[in-house]
Amino acid sequence: MPATRGASPALDPVLEVADLSVRFGGINAVSDVSLSVMPGRVTGLIGPNGAGKTTTFNVITGLQEPTHGSVFIDGKEISTLPPYKRARLGLARTFQRLEVFGSLTVYENVLAAAEFHKSWSSDPTPPVKVAAEVIDRVGLRRVANARVDALPTGISRLVELGRALATRPRVLLLDEVGSGLNPDETAALGDLMLALVSDGTAILLVEHDVELVMRVCAQIFVLDFGRLIASGTPAEIQNDPGVQAAYLGSDEIAS
Amino acid sequence: MTAFEGFLITGLVTGCIYALIAMGLVVTYTTTGIFNFSHGAIAMFAAYMFWQLWQGWDLNVILSFLLVLLVIAPLFGLLIEVLLMRPLRGASVDLMLVITLGLLLALVGIANSAWSPTVTRVLPQLYNGDGFRVGKVLVSWHELITVGALVAVAIVLRMLFTRARVGVAMRAVVDNPDLVAMAGGRPIRVQQLSWALSCSLAALGGMLLAPIQQLNILNLTLLVVDGYAAAIIGRLRNLPVSVAGAIVIAVGQQMAQGYLPNSGFLTRVQNIIPMIVLFIVLIALPQDRLKSATFADAVAPRVASLRASVSTGTVLVVAALITAGFLSGPNLKIGANGFVTGIELLSLVLLTGYGGMTSLCVLSFVGLGAFAMSHVGGSGGSLLGVLAAIGLAGGVGALVALPTLRLRGLYLALATFSFATVMDLAVFTQILGTGGNLAVARVHIPGIPTQSDRAYFTVCAIAFVLVAIGVLALRRGSFGRRLVATNDSPAACATLGVNVNGTKLITFTIAAGLAGFAGALAGGVPGSVSANDFAALGSLVVLLLARIGGINTATGALLGASTLTVFSVAQPHLPGWVGQLQYTLTGLAAISVGRSPNGFGGRIASLIERVRPRSDELPEELTSVNDDGTVGSVFFAEEKELAHAGH
Repeated sequence: MPATRGASPALDPVLEVADLSVRFGGINAVSDVSLSVMPGRVTGLIGPNGAGKTTTFNVITGLQEPTHGSVFIDGKEISTLPPYKRARLGLARTFQRLEVFGSLTVYENVLAAAEFHKSWSSDPTPPVKVAAEVIDRVGLRRVANARVDALPTGISRLVELGRALATRPRVLLLDEVGSGLNPDETAALGDLMLALVSDGTAILLVEHDVELVMRVCAQIFVLDFGRLIASGTPAEIQNDPGVQAAYLGSDEIAS
Repeated sequence: MTAFEGFLITGLVTGCIYALIAMGLVVTYTTTGIFNFSHGAIAMFAAYMFWQLWQGWDLNVILSFLLVLLVIAPLFGLLIEVLLMRPLRGASVDLMLVITLGLLLALVGIANSAWSPTVTRVLPQLYNGDGFRVGKVLVSWHELITVGALVAVAIVLRMLFTRARVGVAMRAVVDNPDLVAMAGGRPIRVQQLSWALSCSLAALGGMLLAPIQQLNILNLTLLVVDGYAAAIIGRLRNLPVSVAGAIVIAVGQQMAQGYLPNSGFLTRVQNIIPMIVLFIVLIALPQDRLKSATFADAVAPRVASLRASVSTGTVLVVAALITAGFLSGPNLKIGANGFVTGIELLSLVLLTGYGGMTSLCVLSFVGLGAFAMSHVGGSGGSLLGVLAAIGLAGGVGALVALPTLRLRGLYLALATFSFATVMDLAVFTQILGTGGNLAVARVHIPGIPTQSDRAYFTVCAIAFVLVAIGVLALRRGSFGRRLVATNDSPAACATLGVNVNGTKLITFTIAAGLAGFAGALAGGVPGSVSANDFAALGSLVVLLLARIGGINTATGALLGASTLTVFSVAQPHLPGWVGQLQYTLTGLAAISVGRSPNGFGGRIASLIERVRPRSDELPEELTSVNDDGTVGSVFFAEEKELAHAGH
């Protein structure tokens, strides 16, 4: 399907999650969560460890079946589609627990993703060109020939980011892609995200680095124990008493 | 009706033995996480030890029985734990399979050397089969003891696992051995105990089964595999369900024997019932979600470039042409067979080495290939026969792959093994004949001599080289990247739009087609084939040869096949008992060399790389890339500063 990038007016959400619940045994990992992601913006999904952020990502991408609830892309329900069909609608992600192709080089990781994209899209750009562009954009030239299983975690996360970008996604889900990076690197990562959304991409960001979240996000959803406890602009979230209580003791949010 | 009751009782008794076998498997699986493929071979070995002590050396029957059950078997279990299994903790399913299959093959080999299969040995039932009557049915003491043994074992295990401290520790160990160690437990002691216990259970099953069936090395090893089906029904965890499954399978088997027509295909059905049950249970089992990334046991060697593979291939063909002039007729045949085996190994390089799918049914596809070559190729050996061989094997491969695609690791291995057994016991005996050989002509290529032993040797060499170049080209290309990626992280592939099952299906089909191609050539070497050539155990040998040579390189396939060839050439010149060592040596070599998936081939590849390192040039497309200021380049700039500061 043709990607309508950049041009779409930021009116309708590109990704929506409605009344999502996930139960593992007797534990409610996610309870009645609804959220929406607009094109051309970074949307934050934050919360303490175990709040249900990664589970939500897994449900959106189809790796985890929800107990209840639906996922929509462009208003179309995709809840019953297998993961690969969701990806073909323009959904891509990175993983908190690394899922790199360890026995391929960095370049091959990105190239493979570009080839996958080419095989199911009508994009005529040669995969090698897409791969070179992504390597350039993320900054992986120096390690292009290194096998990924020999790389440090921080850079492996960037490989996952590059791999996701090579499928030219309309919605990009980033799961703690900045962990393991120092402030300078994080700043450059923030620049990259802002550049991506200025091209029309929608980003849903799970991140513990509050400074980064406050800088890049237009809208933030806060989860705690699987429940949505707040949503709003960065300023609203920072002043929300419920959010501050959830983060009490960790004083992360009260920067 | 007496006949019915007779079948019922035999079924119940056999079921009790399957249950004992299944319990042994479950004990090691729940406490160590290792599925012991050699469990059946251990049972077989114990039955022979019992025969040796009791019949061979005239020891007292009870003393012999207890010696095997309480001394020899537990000691053997300890030995296995110390020598083989302890280093396996945390290893991949793949490695675990290779080690336990290697042990299976080694035990079969040693038994063949110690108790020559050409001599008939009889292991009498306990109390000579005497018994008592219940109504009109004779129940032997042996049968009663069997049922009693199962009941006793069930009670003891239940108490051990729920009451005794050590049993609770056994269950805890598999979840987290380190935690048990920190809590003051002794995980190693617990695992030793569980191996000892499981070997005793195997021995008990083997000693009780052999008198009912017959004392035959292969039959016993495979019969016991029937118990595996019961263990899988209990999902390798649930003992009561496994026992129930075992009894249902065995009774069903007896009823099939009793009431199905006594001629034609249906007579073979009873042999394969457990395998069909195993296959169905496996594909019906709920599977975990898409697997997360795993890291391989060892870094795979780099893939040879097109130039390197073509030039090496040319050298190999020229060498084959020259050698052909010096070799005798029989050795030319052995050599041709070696190249054909090489093609079988290449199919495993693609499927298992690159794709991570373990198949224990290679020879089933080879057999189908030979069958198609015989029927379509005709006596003239038409090329159409080769195409039919590839098509038939590939088609059946796709059919097998469809229901099993969701399976991974151990479950896929078991499903392919059950398929191989069904093909072996029911299909090949039917379509290829057991004694009567099926003629397979050598392929006829217009304008090229192929019929003499010398010419055919060269044809097989060229075929091997072409397949090797093809497999390597496939791996270097876009499909190869997709295949390796699918193996490294199925979850990531799915979220990048890859139909993971579709990729696996294509790979399985291609690999089966390659094996079929090998089959089309294989039959022409001796000129005929029979069902024995494609026995289920043979597929294990092929997989282990692939591991020995190196399962992820074409060099490895060549080396694995060469190992077999060298042994076959040497065999006639060796004393008889050494000649029997083929299985033993393959098994032992797999246990030692097969630890690394790279095998010998990998060692050679790393040597070559050390002598002549690859240039680390950037791909051409990237030379003009300038990524200054991006997150990655900031990362590396700082790494560099750190490195400088450190100096």
